[in-house]
Amino acid sequence: MTRREAALILGLRESATPDKVKEAHRKVMVANHPDAGGSDYLASKVNEAKDVMLGKTKGSNSAF
Amino acid sequence: FQAGRIIANLIVVGSGVLVRAFAQAYRQALQNASKNGVAREAVENMKKVGKTMSESEARQILGVSENASWEEILKKYDSLFENNAKNGSFYLQSKVFRAKECLESAVKKDGE
Repeated sequence: MTRREAALILGLRESATPDKVKEAHRKVMVANHPDAGGSDYLASKVNEAKDVMLGKTKGSNSAF
Repeated sequence: FQAGRIIANLIVVGSGVLVRAFAQAYRQALQNASKNGVAREAVENMKKVGKTMSESEARQILGVSENASWEEILKKYDSLFENNAKNGSFYLQSKVFRAKECLESAVKKDGE
């Protein structure tokens, strides 16, 4: 997942601060939580997007 | 002095080449820049996805099985689309939409 895609998934700018990333992640997970009718697939993408934005992983393949 | 004239010629020709090369590079950079706007890329991406999203990925996005009924698919779509409209990103919303579109043609074809 590229940083650009991660930002798109979370509805953020690529330059978003870690606080904004965590805030956006929480919000987007509300919409996609598996226990609340979301799909595991999308939930895992949202989690991955957070990790990429926080610099925890380096991926270069497409998100989808 | 001959050498002076030759050198002057070289400078004129050389700089002409450089100016043209620079102009071309600048034009390309402008094109790249206009193509690289994130909003435009999101739209382009949506168009691309519409053409190449696989049925299996569409099912994963909506969280439906291979033999899910169209009614079940629509139910998942409605809730995911609405939830992402409220709390998700435009990007995810469009993926959900594209997934439904992709399955619509696949499922409806079998149903006929």
